Amino acid sequence: MSATMAAALEVSGLTLAIGGVNVVDGVAFSVAPGEVMALVGESGCGKSITALALMQLLPGPVRRTAGRILLEGEDVTSLPERRMRQLRGRRISMIFQEPQAALDPLSPVGAQVSEASGLAGGEAREAVHRMLTEVGIADPLRRIDQYPFELSGGMCQRVMIASALIGRPAVLVADEPTTALDVTIQAQILDLLRRLAAERGTAIVLITHDMGVVADIAERVAVMYAGRIAEIGSTTAVFARPRHPYTALLLAAIPRLADVPKSRLAVIEGSVPQPAEYGPGCRFAGRCPFADAHCAAEPPPLRETEEGHSVACWHTERLA
Amino acid sequence: MTSELSVPALAVESLVVHFPARHGPPVRAVDGVSFSVAERETLGLVGESGCGKSTVANAVVGLVRPTRGEVRVAGTPIAGATTHTLRAIRAKAQMVFQDLATSLNPRMTVGAAIGEPLLVRGLARGRALEARVAALLSEVGLRPEHASRYPHQFSGGQRQRIVIARALALRPTLLVCDEPVSALDVSVRAQILNLFVELQQSHAMACLFVSHDLAVVRHVCDRVAVMYLGHLVELAPRDALYATPRHPYTRALLAAAPEPDPELQRAKPRVPLQGEIPSPAAPPPGCVFHTRCPMAVARCREEVPIWRPLGETMVACHRAEESPA
Repeated sequence: MSATMAAALEVSGLTLAIGGVNVVDGVAFSVAPGEVMALVGESGCGKSITALALMQLLPGPVRRTAGRILLEGEDVTSLPERRMRQLRGRRISMIFQEPQAALDPLSPVGAQVSEASGLAGGEAREAVHRMLTEVGIADPLRRIDQYPFELSGGMCQRVMIASALIGRPAVLVADEPTTALDVTIQAQILDLLRRLAAERGTAIVLITHDMGVVADIAERVAVMYAGRIAEIGSTTAVFARPRHPYTALLLAAIPRLADVPKSRLAVIEGSVPQPAEYGPGCRFAGRCPFADAHCAAEPPPLRETEEGHSVACWHTERLA
Repeated sequence: MTSELSVPALAVESLVVHFPARHGPPVRAVDGVSFSVAERETLGLVGESGCGKSTVANAVVGLVRPTRGEVRVAGTPIAGATTHTLRAIRAKAQMVFQDLATSLNPRMTVGAAIGEPLLVRGLARGRALEARVAALLSEVGLRPEHASRYPHQFSGGQRQRIVIARALALRPTLLVCDEPVSALDVSVRAQILNLFVELQQSHAMACLFVSHDLAVVRHVCDRVAVMYLGHLVELAPRDALYATPRHPYTRALLAAAPEPDPELQRAKPRVPLQGEIPSPAAPPPGCVFHTRCPMAVARCREEVPIWRPLGETMVACHRAEESPA
């Protein structure tokens, strides 16, 4: 599903290195306008650093050594910071896990949303009012002058979404946007993101560790493991017919409301390798029940197994 | 269900915990909660942040002093207990916390940490202590030679195993777990949940399992209690609670928990609960849930619903009988 022309965001061969180690290795995906694409994986899989790379906000020690990031067709990796600064908030925005920490505690929330709008005076206030209403903040005229500490976590997340979207960006990068929230508030925020993607045509890149959140909101999903995409495809196909052993085991390791209680959950032996431990081959080989000498020696390329569903595994046919 | 004849491993009666606030009224973290946990039984306590579930757990092991009400561990009341009695109770009731980073002393070897409760109480030392520590490490799926290492040399899942081994050292009759798997990745969480189910069978102990995750609680618990704003709203045997939830809040929680199955999840009726949890310093009158309840009527705003049986379930809702099946 690489509708190159239509993609709001297209990432190819993205490789990020710390020291000499590729902590993100050849990551590629695209997101269409109005689509929600999830990057899912456990801690250390490289999903958050990929998100920062999309924003061109990589922390000091991380270097992009290869790959392109096309934002509405324009490669942003070669842009000077001065130019990138103009794009943030207008063509690509980001929201974070801890809304209360991401907002400025000393500034009223209305001013923070307004700052991102690029408007001033009465016009700005009106735009902020409209935006706060759109993200479902009740009584926006009162909230506009309040400070983050006066708002709940869910409300702060709505404010952050408002300030991310007021500049009408084509792409919203959402890094674990509901992880710090309770389930009933999470459901509200996921509904909001779904509605905004549909109504505004915003392409959403959702970074999450939660397979339930992916199942709820994402049309497509990329499962990441140790810096690489293990499997990518439509959410329905990946969940119904996982073709990578990591995806299959991960899905079987989650307790579900339909399971037999106290039954044994699938286990992935060991733990995620540290970047220093990455071998030359498949990075899952050390924990994979199918792994052989070939897996340890040579990294499997991402190959399409069916239309729009690709898997990086030498033994994918064993899961068919 | 708790047998009337035997003494429950844990009995909590009309527990109230209020925290004084510098300004304004006290925070009513727990406001009249009663339940018991039978020997060998695991009771799940679920609810969202601020509902008071962790305060209940802390009160059970004596880390928080109840404002009113009683907590009895294997029949012994802990409120007003002497230091001596409290020490004895703490050997019987052990706790496992969510935050692994602060649960282990970084400068103490794992063996010393696990052996400490035994050493402090004079139950074992020297070779016997080493042997006990080695046995505990094997029980939680680690190797005896791990005893000489430090916490930083272990992964998150292994650290949780170490914490569990230490909690088991004194052979407690009650294990209190506060979000024991919430900080863990999915693959590691499955390992710890499997270990937990094994330990339930091998150790004849009762457990109070506090969590916000309904699927995890269903997986390990025999009965489940749901808390909202300092109150229990429903308590039922596991299958009854998940199959026929009687309280509208339980239903809302079940509806809001996203299932890792796109077809199931997208077919779910979408009735997200509106609004937010009120402040426990100023809980609403009547039923505390009425401000967000889709079924609330005038009576709910005025009259506190009593905690009453309905079939196998205990529930606090005026309209529990009208619940859609």
